[in-house]
Amino acid sequence: MTGHVSLRAEAGPLLAVRNLTTSFQQDGLWTPVLRDISFDIGRSETVAVVGESGSGKSVTAMSIMQLLPRSTSRIEGQILFEGNDLLALPDAEMRKIRGNRIAMIFQESSLNPVYTVGFHMVETLRRHRGFSAAQARKEAVRLLDRVRIPSAASRLDDYAHQFSGGMRQRVMIAIALACKPRLLIADEPTTALDVTIQAQILELIKELQDQDDMSVMFITHDMGVVAEISDRTVVMYHGNAVEEGPTSQIFSSPQAPYTRALLAAVPRLGSMRGLQDPLRFPVVSKKTGLAEPVPASVPTVDPAAKPILEVRNLVTRFDIKGGTFGGLTGRVHAVENVSFDLRPGETLSLVGESGCGKSTTGRSIMRLTQPSSGQIIVEGTEMSALNRNGLRQMRKQVQMIFQDPVASLNARMTIGEAITEPFLAHRMGTRSQARDKAADLLERVGLRADMLNRLPHEFSGGQRQRISLARALILDPKLIVADESVSALDVSVKAQVVNLLLELQERLGLSYLFISHDMAVVERVSHRVAVMYLGEIVEIGPRDRVFSDPQHPYTKKLISAVPISDPERRNIRNGLSNDEIKSPIRPINFVPPQRDYAEVSPGHLVMKDAAVSVGPIKRTRP
Amino acid sequence: MLRWLFERLFQACLVIAAMSIIVFIGVNVIGNPVDILIPPDASQAERLRAIEYLGLDKPLWAQYLDFLRNLFRGDLGTSYVYGAPALGVILQRLPATIELALAAMLMAIVIGIPLGLYAGLRADRWPAKLLMTGSILGFSLPTFWVGLMLIMVFSVQLGWVPASGRGDTAEFLGVQWSFLTRDGLSHLLLPAINLSLFKVSLVMRLTRAGVQEVLPQDYIRYARARGLTEKRVIWVHVLKNIMIPVVTIIGLEFGSLIAFSVVTETIFAWPGMGKLIIDSINVLDRPIIVAYLMLIVLMFVCINLIVDILYAFLDPRVRLSARGTK
Repeated sequence: MTGHVSLRAEAGPLLAVRNLTTSFQQDGLWTPVLRDISFDIGRSETVAVVGESGSGKSVTAMSIMQLLPRSTSRIEGQILFEGNDLLALPDAEMRKIRGNRIAMIFQESSLNPVYTVGFHMVETLRRHRGFSAAQARKEAVRLLDRVRIPSAASRLDDYAHQFSGGMRQRVMIAIALACKPRLLIADEPTTALDVTIQAQILELIKELQDQDDMSVMFITHDMGVVAEISDRTVVMYHGNAVEEGPTSQIFSSPQAPYTRALLAAVPRLGSMRGLQDPLRFPVVSKKTGLAEPVPASVPTVDPAAKPILEVRNLVTRFDIKGGTFGGLTGRVHAVENVSFDLRPGETLSLVGESGCGKSTTGRSIMRLTQPSSGQIIVEGTEMSALNRNGLRQMRKQVQMIFQDPVASLNARMTIGEAITEPFLAHRMGTRSQARDKAADLLERVGLRADMLNRLPHEFSGGQRQRISLARALILDPKLIVADESVSALDVSVKAQVVNLLLELQERLGLSYLFISHDMAVVERVSHRVAVMYLGEIVEIGPRDRVFSDPQHPYTKKLISAVPISDPERRNIRNGLSNDEIKSPIRPINFVPPQRDYAEVSPGHLVMKDAAVSVGPIKRTRP
Repeated sequence: MLRWLFERLFQACLVIAAMSIIVFIGVNVIGNPVDILIPPDASQAERLRAIEYLGLDKPLWAQYLDFLRNLFRGDLGTSYVYGAPALGVILQRLPATIELALAAMLMAIVIGIPLGLYAGLRADRWPAKLLMTGSILGFSLPTFWVGLMLIMVFSVQLGWVPASGRGDTAEFLGVQWSFLTRDGLSHLLLPAINLSLFKVSLVMRLTRAGVQEVLPQDYIRYARARGLTEKRVIWVHVLKNIMIPVVTIIGLEFGSLIAFSVVTETIFAWPGMGKLIIDSINVLDRPIIVAYLMLIVLMFVCINLIVDILYAFLDPRVRLSARGTK
C-alpha cells in the first residue's frame, strides 16, 4: 500500500492544484476571490505566480497552506501534495506539513519583533524535527551559516530589528530550510529590498534550491523577477489564472490579452538604447490584447535654455544625539556636496538605493529639510536669500508629489478641497476660479470633473496619485519633484501614470526631478540621470550614456542587479555576495573628501578615484 | 543598561525633590492646625508653647529645611494627633492597603487577561460581545454603590461573607496579613472584588484591543505558516506582544489602586491608609498628610521605574533605544 502511494507520488507533480475556488464571506455573502485555478508544480521546478494587487496570487498561497480563517473563507477543489489532498487532511496533519514539508516565506518584516531570531529557529526545529534545545541551537547556527550570515553563532540571540532587510530575509530562508521542505512558497520575498540585495536573495534561493532539490512557488508582481527565476509562470488576473506555461513562452508569445497588456507595461532595462528622449509605454487593452500605437517622443528640452533649477554644493547633514546628556555622537551625511542643473522641459532622475540621499536631496530643494550649506537657485534666484514671502512665491514654482498618495491626501477633505487648497492659500484667485481650474486639471490628469466632491478613499491608488499631480499642477509650477511617485503602483497603473507625466511635460513644458530606485522606470522617463551613493553623486550624464556606458563601479553594480524582464537574458551566476548597503553615518570629526569628476563624454561626469568601495561586482551580463 | 538605569534613578530623585516642595508648601497653606488641635480656652502662653513645639513659628523655608533634614534621617515628623512618628503610623496601616490592592490587581490580571484574550480571539461570538458590554458597566458603576450592593447581597441577604474589618490576621515577614487565615480571606474578598471591578474591565478591554491589533500582523501569519499549534501561536507569539501595553497600564493602575482605595476602605471599614488619610485631613494632621503624600510619590516613582524595566524586558526595541543609537 505504502509502495503504491509512493510510486504514485513519484510519478506525478509535487503539487497539483485542481479547480481551486476560494470564496470569502462578506456581509453574509460568499464572494469568490479565486475561480477554478489549476496548475502543477513539478519536482525541483520553480513556478512563478504573477499578477497585480488583488489578482489573488497571495490568496492562492494561503489556500494551499490553509492559513485562511475558517469562519470567513471557503476553499473548494483539490490541492494534491505528494499525491495527498491537503484539503481533506485534518488540522493536526496539516500543521505537520506547514513549515515542514511546505515552508513559506513572506516579506522580510515577518519575524516576531519580541523574540530573537534564534528563538524562531529553535521553535521551528523542535516542533518538526523533535530536536532537544541544544541540538536545535547547533542546527540553527549551521542553517544561518548556510544562508551566509556572517558570524552566525553570535547573531542567534539578536532580534529582527538588529538585522538589515536583506539579512532578515536570509534568516527567514534559513528557517524555511530548517526542515528540508519539498516545496518553498515565497510570497513577495524581495519586494521591499533594494535591487542589489534582491539580486543576492534571488541567487541564494536558486542555489539552495539546487542543493536541496526543492520546488519553489514564487509569488511576485515583478515581471523582471519572474523572468529571472522561474521555469514556468502562472499569470493571474482578478482571481483567474489567465495563462500558464513555460516562462520563456509567456514572455515570447503571450496568449491571453491580459498577459500582453501586462508585458507591454513592464519597463525593460536596455530597451531605450539609442533613444535620446523619454518614451511612453505602449497601451495594450486588457480585454482584447491589442496595442495602441505609441506616440513618438517630442523633444521638450532646449539645450540653450537657462536652467530652471541649479543646485550648487548642496550639503544636508543630520546630527545624531545620544548619551546621558544628549550630546552629539555622530552625523548622517545624507547629502554631501551635490551639484546639478535642470533645464526647462527636462527630466533629471536621481537614482540609488536606500540611504543614498536621493530623497533628502529632493526635500532639501523643497526646504522641507533645512540644508546645512549650499545654494539652490530657482530661475536665477537663490532660495536662501529669500525672506518668507519670497520663499512662498518661489514654492509655487516648485511642487512635490510623494510616494504614498494615501498619506498625502487628507482623508476628510474632498479632493476638490484638497486640490484647490494651495491655490486659495496662495491667494491666486477666487473660490469659483479655483474650482473651475481644479475641474479642468482633473480632466487633464485623466479623471472626471464631477469627481471633485468625492473623498480620497473612493479612489484607487493610481487615481490618487493623479489627484496629487492635479494638486501640484494647480499652482502652475515649472518644476515638479516626484519622490518615488510611481514606486508603489501596480505595473499597469505605473505605466499609465508615467505616460501622464510625459504627456504633461510635452504639453506644459514641465521639468521633473524624478527620484526613484527603479532603474527600469528611470530609463524610460529621463533625459539625464544622476546616480547617488552614500550622499554623493558618483555619476551624472545623459540617460543613454549612463545606461549604455556606465563608468562608475557603483553604477555598473546597480544596473547589473536589475532583473531583466527577458528569460533569454538571464544573468550568469558566479558566486554569491552578502555585501550590505553601507550607511552614511560618520563620526563628528569626519571631513568629507574632496571629489573630482572626469568628463567621459559631453555632459557625462564620473567621480574620479573610484576607491569608494562598493563591493565586488559579482554579476556580469553577456 | 546600567547607565540607563542610573539616568532613570536620577530622574526619579528629581521628581521626588520637586514633589516634596509642592507637597510641603501645598499642605502648609491650608488652614491652621493650631486652631483645631488646641482647645479654644487655652491661654496665650500655652498657645505659643504649642506653636513653638510644633515648629510653626519659623518661616516656611526654614520649616521646609527642617523637614528635609529630618527626611534624610527617615523622620517625616510627628503626628499632631497620635503623637507618634507619622511614618510609623502610616506604615502600620500600609500592609492592609497593599494587601487589598494586590488582591484587586491579581484579580484584574487573572480574570481580565483570559477574558480579554477570549473576547479578542472570538470577537464575533455572543459571549465576547456580552463581555464587552459588561465591561462598560465595570467602568461606569460608581465604586461606592457597587460596594454597598455587594454588602447588601453577599453579607446582609446571603450572609456568605463578613462586611467589614480585616478579620483574623497572621504574621508573615513581621507584618500582619489577612490572606493567611480563612477568616481574613473571607473579609478580604468583598473589598477586593469591589476595588478590582474597574481594573478587570480595563485589563480586559486592553487585552482585547491588543489581540485584535496583533492577530492580523505578518508575524502571526508567519508563525502559523511554520506549523506551530494554535495554542503556541496565542500563548507565545500573541501574548508577549500584547503584554507590553498591559504591563504599563497595570503598573500605573497599581499605584492608583493604593492611592485611591479610600472609598473602598471607608465602605468596608478596612483599616488601611486610605481611611487614615481621610481622618487626618479632617483634623489637619499635617505630618501625616505630608508623609502620606511623599510615600505615594515614592511609590509611583518606583512603580514607574519597575514598569520601564519590565517594558525593556518585554520589548527588545526599547532596549536598543535605551542604549543610544547603535
